[in-house]
Amino acid sequence: MSSIRLDNLRKEFGPVVALKSLSLEIGDGEFAALLGPSGCGKSTTMNMIAGLEMPTAGSIYFGERPMNGVPAGKRGVGFVFQNYAIFTHMSVFDNIAFGLKVQHKAEAEIRREVQQVAELLHLGDLLSMNAGRLSVNDMQKVALGRSMVMRPRIFLLDEPFSNLDAAFRFYMRGELKRIQRDIKQTMIYVTHDQVEAMSMADKIAVMDYGILQQFGSPDEIYNYPVNTFVARFIGSPSMNFIPCSYQVENGQGCLVQRQGTIRLPLDERRQQLIAGHNGGDQLILGIRPEYLRLHDQSHPEAAWSGQVYALEPLGSKTIVHLQVGQEILQVAAPADCRPAVGITQWLEYNPAHLHIFAGATGQVIR
Amino acid sequence: MAQPKSWQFFGRYLLIIIITVLALFPVYWMVGMAFKPKAEWTSATGEIYWLPQQPTMENFTTLLTEYRGQFFRGNQTSALPAIINSVIVSVGGTLLALVIGALAAYGLSRFNTDSGDFPFYIALGRLFLLVLALMPFMLVMAWFDIVNRWYGIIPLILIGIVLDYVIGGLMARFYTRGPVGNLAFSILQLRMFPPIAIIIPIMIMWSALNMIDTWYGLVIIYGVVTLPFVVWLMKSFFDDVPRELDEAAIVDGASYWGTFFKVVLPLVKGGLASTALFVFILNWSDFLVALLLTSSEWATIPVFLNRLVTAETGQQHGPRAALGLIAAIPPVVFGLMIQKYLVRGLTFGAIKK
Repeated sequence: MSSIRLDNLRKEFGPVVALKSLSLEIGDGEFAALLGPSGCGKSTTMNMIAGLEMPTAGSIYFGERPMNGVPAGKRGVGFVFQNYAIFTHMSVFDNIAFGLKVQHKAEAEIRREVQQVAELLHLGDLLSMNAGRLSVNDMQKVALGRSMVMRPRIFLLDEPFSNLDAAFRFYMRGELKRIQRDIKQTMIYVTHDQVEAMSMADKIAVMDYGILQQFGSPDEIYNYPVNTFVARFIGSPSMNFIPCSYQVENGQGCLVQRQGTIRLPLDERRQQLIAGHNGGDQLILGIRPEYLRLHDQSHPEAAWSGQVYALEPLGSKTIVHLQVGQEILQVAAPADCRPAVGITQWLEYNPAHLHIFAGATGQVIR
Repeated sequence: MAQPKSWQFFGRYLLIIIITVLALFPVYWMVGMAFKPKAEWTSATGEIYWLPQQPTMENFTTLLTEYRGQFFRGNQTSALPAIINSVIVSVGGTLLALVIGALAAYGLSRFNTDSGDFPFYIALGRLFLLVLALMPFMLVMAWFDIVNRWYGIIPLILIGIVLDYVIGGLMARFYTRGPVGNLAFSILQLRMFPPIAIIIPIMIMWSALNMIDTWYGLVIIYGVVTLPFVVWLMKSFFDDVPRELDEAAIVDGASYWGTFFKVVLPLVKGGLASTALFVFILNWSDFLVALLLTSSEWATIPVFLNRLVTAETGQQHGPRAALGLIAAIPPVVFGLMIQKYLVRGLTFGAIKK
């Protein structure tokens, strides 16, 4: 058990910069997720924490101890790979016991430890089986067990569940969360699935193009995204973005969509913020589908109207695509909402959940 | 797949049968001849015997008896030492190539970064430059008359390795600005010389090193000649083993050697076995190298086969067939032993691709 600090970590592969500069602090016993699209540098970060790759620049600390130059086998990390990486020529028992055998632990101790881990993962009946004959689900459990048995200070999981079938993935998420709570392990979990990150992690680091975009709790990331990338990446369906400019009409500051079909009066605080920001003609308004509400008729609160463009009934809710002027906005409507395509609907928005981003940089203005 | 029409079916099998017959006929003839008495395998009777009419072990006894200075029969040596020699040098050479080659292949598969495509003339040019660069050194050695001394040859080999490295580096920097072939390619380029082109210099070197007609002389040359095959075959097998397996073992505290022996090697044992068979057959059937690097004591089966002719007896085709039959046994047995590995590798299913 140990905290992790990454200090200006950088990794280059020849001319390719995989990770530009990453500084991150993950507390003892915390469950952190590295979230980002593929190629954003998250696996490279993991490999460097594990010691499989050496950073081009920057340092890694476990607690107060610098880890640069410490070989992978001596760092006390457990690593679970996306593709299980289990030793198919060995039995399940030998797979789980591998690390302990390398350390020349006593036979009885190995047996006890392996048994314990196998019980925890419900693998008890399979111990004598050839690992190559296991189902994909059990293979990943064995891979998990092989790392757990070493009682690592830090547990690294690189998209461990992405090859599992959906139902089992759901089950394993719960299990992993339980195990993490039981053994109070510092865990870093790499994923490109925002649902997985949101549902499991205490802290999420959103990465893109080798740069950390935002680091915070799931609620922070969801409710206060710092830029359009984070805002778009987190949440399903993703946030609506409307290119706007700021105009003052009759003393009232408004955001006006390019063609003028959408206008949105701003409160005092936001007016001041934007007035202090140069580039007011290049703004992006962001609003999540769940903070938009549909009305059948014109309504005092419903500022905008548009035509229904498409419907996505999802069971628990219905996503309505509404064409407002040039923009198509997604609205999360109740499950029984079934407006006919083409009819006019009115939209009400929740002014507390507006995000305004600078058009040039994509950074939030708040 | 559509059902083939009956004539296609017939034609396909007819072709297979013809090819099989062509391939197996010499084998059939050898086996038959091994058991024929002399009257049947010579043309003495003017008839062709498709099968031994009076099967006999005469050829085998002739082959394995030894006599010296007998009146009207001259000398004959038994084939038994040659068989034993063949086993020793072939197995030795194969083991040498496998041990060095497998380790090298693992290193190249996991730690080599200088790879990429490059035109063939680059490789040939590199080789040509190496030969040019070595010439002054050879002249100096000739001047001091140490060309055929071990303290001349061994430094020359080391100089060659260094020069190859330097030339490769210079070409990469100033000419191609890209890949010029890597260590793996340098190993393969050993094969660019046909053995007959280099066997005379090697004979001179071996003679200078007192390795002519010794078991280790043959083991070393067999190991060296087959090393490139081992490296390239094994590298492809190692490349198929997912790197995550190594990494998983290393993170769990295994050393590189431990990872290699406990995790990776067991997964490629099928590949190792088929590589071993391939290299063993190459060594076992070598004639040229053994002919030039042995004189009497360490003659191998192919060399001995060639000697089965005397002024008194003429060509001893019967005993030759018998020895050929004996020589065919080890590769066949070895092949049957590892048959299950020849079908498919073991790593199948280790990782989802």
